[in-house]
Amino acid sequence: MSGVATLPATGARWRLALGTGLLCALGLLVVVALLSLRIGSVGIATRDAIDALFNYDPNSYNQTVVRSLRLPRTIIGLGVGSALAVAGAMMQATTRNPLADPSILGVNSGAAFAIVNAIFFFGLTHPYQYVWFAFLGAGIASALVYSIASAGRGGATPVKLALAGAVVTALLGSWITALLLLDEQTLDTVRFWLAGSIAGRPIEVFWMVLPFMATGLVGGLLLARQLNVMNLGEDTARALGMHTGRLRLVSALLVVLMTGAAVSAAGPIGFVGLAVPHIVRVFTGPDYRWILAYCIVVGPLLLLSADIAGRVITRPAELQVGIVTAMCGAPFLIAIARQRRVASL
Amino acid sequence: MTRLEAREVRLGYGDAVIIDGLTASIPDHRITSIIGANGCGKSTLLRGLARLLRPQGGAVLLDGQAIHHQPTKQIARKLGLLAQQANAPESITVEDLVRRGRYPHQSLLQPPTDADRDAIDRAIAFAGVDDLRDRAVDQLSGGQRQRAWLAMVLAQETDLLLLDEPTTFLDIAHQHEVLDLVRRLNRDEGKTVVMVLHDINEAARWSDHVIAMRDGAVVAEGTPAEMITPARILDVFNVATDVVTAPGTGLPICVPRGTPVELRAERPPTPVRLRADRLSLHYGARAVIDDLSVEVPAGAITAIVGPNACGKSTLLRGMSRLLPPAGGAALLDERPVHETPRRRMAQRMALLPQAPESPPGIRVDEMVASGRFPHQRWYRQWSAGDAAAVSRALDATDMQPLATHEVDALSGGQRQRAWVALTLAQDTPLLLLDEPTTFLDIAHQVELLDLVRALNRREGRTVVMVLHDLGQACRYADHVIVMDGGRVVAAGSPAATITEALVRDVFGVECDIVADPLTGGPLVIPHGLIAQDAAEGSAPPAEPARVSST
Amino acid sequence: MIRPALSALRGGPVLLDLRLGSFASFRINVRVLAICLLLLVVVIALAAWAATLGSFIVPLDEVVRATFSESTRQFEFVVVQLRLPRILSAILVGAALASSGAIFQGLVRNPLVSPDIIGIQAGATVVAVFMIVNGYTDRYIPLGAFGGAVTAATAIYLLAWKGGMSGNRLVLVGIGIDALLAAGTRYLIVKFPVQQAQAAIAWSTGTVYGTGWFDVQVIAVALGELLPLAIVLTWQLRVLQFGDDIAYVLGMRVEPTRLALILVGCALAAVAVAVAGPVGFIALMVPHVARIIGGPMTGGTLLLTALLGAVLLLGADIVALHVLPVALPVGVVTAGVGAPYFLFLLYRANVRM
Repeated sequence: MSGVATLPATGARWRLALGTGLLCALGLLVVVALLSLRIGSVGIATRDAIDALFNYDPNSYNQTVVRSLRLPRTIIGLGVGSALAVAGAMMQATTRNPLADPSILGVNSGAAFAIVNAIFFFGLTHPYQYVWFAFLGAGIASALVYSIASAGRGGATPVKLALAGAVVTALLGSWITALLLLDEQTLDTVRFWLAGSIAGRPIEVFWMVLPFMATGLVGGLLLARQLNVMNLGEDTARALGMHTGRLRLVSALLVVLMTGAAVSAAGPIGFVGLAVPHIVRVFTGPDYRWILAYCIVVGPLLLLSADIAGRVITRPAELQVGIVTAMCGAPFLIAIARQRRVASL
Repeated sequence: MTRLEAREVRLGYGDAVIIDGLTASIPDHRITSIIGANGCGKSTLLRGLARLLRPQGGAVLLDGQAIHHQPTKQIARKLGLLAQQANAPESITVEDLVRRGRYPHQSLLQPPTDADRDAIDRAIAFAGVDDLRDRAVDQLSGGQRQRAWLAMVLAQETDLLLLDEPTTFLDIAHQHEVLDLVRRLNRDEGKTVVMVLHDINEAARWSDHVIAMRDGAVVAEGTPAEMITPARILDVFNVATDVVTAPGTGLPICVPRGTPVELRAERPPTPVRLRADRLSLHYGARAVIDDLSVEVPAGAITAIVGPNACGKSTLLRGMSRLLPPAGGAALLDERPVHETPRRRMAQRMALLPQAPESPPGIRVDEMVASGRFPHQRWYRQWSAGDAAAVSRALDATDMQPLATHEVDALSGGQRQRAWVALTLAQDTPLLLLDEPTTFLDIAHQVELLDLVRALNRREGRTVVMVLHDLGQACRYADHVIVMDGGRVVAAGSPAATITEALVRDVFGVECDIVADPLTGGPLVIPHGLIAQDAAEGSAPPAEPARVSST
Repeated sequence: MIRPALSALRGGPVLLDLRLGSFASFRINVRVLAICLLLLVVVIALAAWAATLGSFIVPLDEVVRATFSESTRQFEFVVVQLRLPRILSAILVGAALASSGAIFQGLVRNPLVSPDIIGIQAGATVVAVFMIVNGYTDRYIPLGAFGGAVTAATAIYLLAWKGGMSGNRLVLVGIGIDALLAAGTRYLIVKFPVQQAQAAIAWSTGTVYGTGWFDVQVIAVALGELLPLAIVLTWQLRVLQFGDDIAYVLGMRVEPTRLALILVGCALAAVAVAVAGPVGFIALMVPHVARIIGGPMTGGTLLLTALLGAVLLLGADIVALHVLPVALPVGVVTAGVGAPYFLFLLYRANVRM
C-alpha cells in the first residue's frame, strides 16, 4: 500500500506508464487467448489455431475443433470477463464499498431462479435456450431488490440495498433448492450451469448477449468521469452539479445489463467482479477512467487463465471456470485483506 | 440586489424542521461568516444555499432564480462548496483531485480543453500547492490538504464560494494559512465567500460581514465591529464575555468570562502521580516521541499545547497505555502503566480520546452507564454506586434532560458532553482529555472547561487536557506543557511560560499578549497576517476591476 | 436479600434492578423480559402442537403423558423416539444459530455478517458433502461437519490475525475462505453422479430430519454451556462496540475478549451445523429482528435472539413437514417463513446495529 502511494505519479510520465501497462496487459491477453484456442483435451498447434481464424480449412479436424468449440468459448470468456470486472468496479464506486459485488443486486440468484424454473416446467435442456430466461430473471430480481431497498424511510441506502439483496437471494435460493430436491432430472441438467462455465456454448449465445454487454461497457466507460467525482463523497459530488441518485440508478442499470448478460452466457461466475477491480487499483490508483479500461483487459485475462487452468488441472476432465476463479480469486482477496487498511464496510 | 439570497426558506431533514422562514442575503464580493451555537442551523443553512438540501418551503435564489429549478451543472458553474471534512479517495494526487473540480464545465464526451488545463493550473498556483501537485492528498499536512481541496473548488471557477468549517482540526498556523488564502481569493479575485466558522474571533478577524444565527433564525447581522459586543454575544451564544481591543489591529476580541470567581480547592487533591520517564513512542517504524520526561503535577489542571503533529495526542495515548512504549515508561503512582492491570488502571485514570465513535442506536444513559464498566462484573451489573455515579455524571454535564435520547440524534456539542459524562462516570481521580472542546461552540466550550475546573477544585481530580486553543490553556490550566516536534519545549505556569517569543517559535504566528481582563493572566491574541494587511491599508475593494468590467 | 426496584426514565424502557446484597446486581429490561417469556410460551406450545402432528395423530394429553409419565407403547415410540428429538433439535439449532449470528454482527459491527457468509458453514458443508458423495454413513457426518467448521474458523482467524484483529479483515478473509470452500463443494457436486449430488444438496440445505436423542444431547450440552457464556460476554461486547480505544481505556482486555467472542460464536455455529447442516437465513436475519424489537444487544436481547431463532426454525420445520404437499428440508422453508416479516421490518424501521 505505501509502495503504491509513494510512487511519483508525475502527470505525463504517469499516463505514459499506465498506457504502456495497458498495452502490455492487452498483449498478454492476446497470448492467453491463443493459448485458450490451443490447450484442451486435444492439443492444437499454434499454426492450426491461427489458420482456423484467418485461413479456415473445414477438412482439418483440429481446425474444426478450434472453430466450433474453442473459439466460441474464448470469445465468450473475453466478453464475460470484461463485463463482470467492469460491473464490479462500478458497484464499488457507486456504493463506495470495497466489498460491493454485482451479486448484491440479486442478479445471479434471479438468473438461476428463472433457469431452474424454466428447466423444471418447460424442460429446457440447452444453454442456448437459457439466455432469455436468465436475463429476465436477473432483471426482475434486481428490480425487486432495488425497489424493496428504496421503499420505506431513507431511500436506497447501501445497507438497505445489501440487506434486501441478501433476503431476496435467500428466498430465491430456497425455491431453487426445493425444485432441485424434488426433481433429479432438473438437478442433473442445471448443476453444470450453476457451477459457472463458458464451455459448450454455441457462438450464437455470445451474439445474443453482445448488445447488452456492449451497452454496459460503453456506458460504463462514458460514466468514468462521473464515478471519479462520485468518489469525492456525496456532498462534494452534488456541489459539483451531479445528480447522484440518477448516477446510482443508471450505474445499477448498466451493472444489471452486464451481469445479466454474463450470467446468461456463462452461469454464475464469482469473484471476477470483486477481485479484479481491487487488483487493478493497485496499479492504476483511484482514477476510474484507468480502472475501467484496465478492468476490460484484466477481467478476461483472469477468466481465460482460470478456464485454461481448469482444462489442465484435471485432464481429461474439466473443472468449471466458476470453480477455478473462486479458487484463484480467494487467495487474492485474502492477500488484499491482509495488506491494505480496508475502508470501513 | 445581491446574487445569492434565501427567501422565507424552510430547511430540515425529514420531519425535523431546523430552519423555518429564514430570509438572508449574501453581500457580493465580501467574505461573510455565519456564526452561532451548536445546533443553531448554520451548517443546515449553508447546505441549503449550496443546494444540498431541498427547501421544504420558500426558495434559495441565485441571480434572482430559485436554484432548485435550474440545471445542476449551471449552478455548479456559479457556486462552489467545500464540504465539511471532505475525504479524498485513498492515494489520489493533488492534481487529480483538482481536475475533478472541472466536472461542471465538461460534457459527457468532451475531452479536456485548454480552458480546463488553464483553470487547473491557475487554481493550483493560487492555492500554492504547485510543488505538491503530484503528492497524494492523504499524505499532506492538515493545512496543505485543505488548500488542495480549496484548489479543487477553485478549479470550478465560480464567483461564489461556500466553505463549511474549513479550519476544523487545524492548528493556529494552519488556520491562518487557509484563511489567508480565502482572504486573497476575495481581495484579488473578487470572489464572494460564505463560511461557517465556530470560532467567533476568527470569524470577526477574517470576514467583512457576520450573520449570527440562533434556533434556526438570523438574530443579527453586520460588520465584525458591530457584532462583537458583549450584548450581541450574550444574545447569540448565551455566554457572558469581555471584549478587548487587539493592540496591533484594533479589532475587537471577545473573551468568554466563564465562572467569574476563582474556585477555592474544597477538597485536598487525591494523591495520584503521573509522569513520563524517558518515554519513547512510535507509530510503526515512525518515532513520534523520543526520550521524553515530564511530570504532571498532582491535583492541578495541566494543559498540553503545541502545533498539529507535535505529538501531544500521542503523549496522552502513551500515558494512558493505549500506545505501548518503545522505550522508557509512563508511570502512574510510580508503577509503569503498561504493567498495571487494566481494570485497576481504568479505576484510577480515564481518557476521552479524540472523535470517539458511538455504536449506532445507543441511548445517552446507556452510553454513560458503560463508563461504569471498570467497577462492574458481569454478575454485578448495576449497584447503587453505579446508579449514583451515572446520575452525577449526567447532572454535571447537564445531560439529564437528554438521557433517553439516542446519541446519533444529538448535535455535536451535546454528543461531546455525553462522552465527557461517560468519562466522568468512570469516577477516577485522574482525567485525561484529548481536545475536549473540538466541535463545541463558545458557550459549550466555556461550560465544559468550567466543569473541568469545578471537578478539579471541588473533587480534587487531577486533569490533563490536550488543547489547541492557547487562550483556553492559559485561562484554565494551572500548568502548561508546550510541545513541538515530539519534545517538551517549555513547562510551567501559563504566565511564566507563554511568551510572545515562544508563540512565534513554536506556532509560527505573531501575537500580542495582553492581560486577561478577568484573571490578569496572559491572553494570547494572534494577529498572523492581519498586521501587514492593516499596514498596507488595503480595505476590501468595493467593486473589483475584474468583475466590474463584465 | 433480594431487592428488586423498578425504574423508568421518561421515554426510556422500564428497567428492573435486582440487587442480591452487595455482591451481585442485575438490570433487566422489563419489555425484553416479557417478550422472552412470551416467546418461551410460544416455543412450548409450538413444540407440543408439533408432537401431535404427523401421519399418525397423537392427542395432546397423550403427548404430555408420553413425555412426562407413561402412555401406550405406540404413542411413546412415536412421540419420544421419533418426534421429540426432531422438535428439540429444531429448537436448539435455531437458538444456537441465531445467537451465533448476533455475536458476529456485534463483533464486526456489520449487519451482513453471519456464520454463513464468513466460511464457517462452508467448512462444514464441504467436508460433509465430501463424505456423502463418497458414501460414508450418516453417523460420522456430524463429526466431519464439526471438524470442517472448526478448521475453517481456525484458518479464518489465523489468516485474519496480523499483529491484532480487525473486524473488517476478519470478514474479508472469511468471504475469501467461504468462496474457496463453496467452490470445493460445487466441484464435488458437479463431479459425482446425480444421486449422490442430490443427497449432498439435501444435506447442504439444512435439515433436522432423522435427528436422534444423541444429537439432542450433544447440542443441549453445548448450548447449555455456550449460551450462558455468550450472555456473559455480551456484557463485554457492549463496551467493545465503542471501539478498541474506549474499550482499552475502560479497562477491558480487548484481544482476549474478542478471541473469546469469536470462539463462542464459532462453537455455536459449528455445533448447529454439525447437527442440522447449514440452515440459512436464521443467523443473518434473526439478530436484526431481535434488535429492532429489543434494542441494542444486551444479555436480554441475546436471549431474545436465541428464542426467536428457536421459534423460527421450529415453525419452519412444522411448515416443511406438515403444510407443504411434499416434505422438504427445513432449510428450504426458513427463508420463506422469515423473509416477509423481515422485509416488513426493513420497510418500517430504521435498520441499526
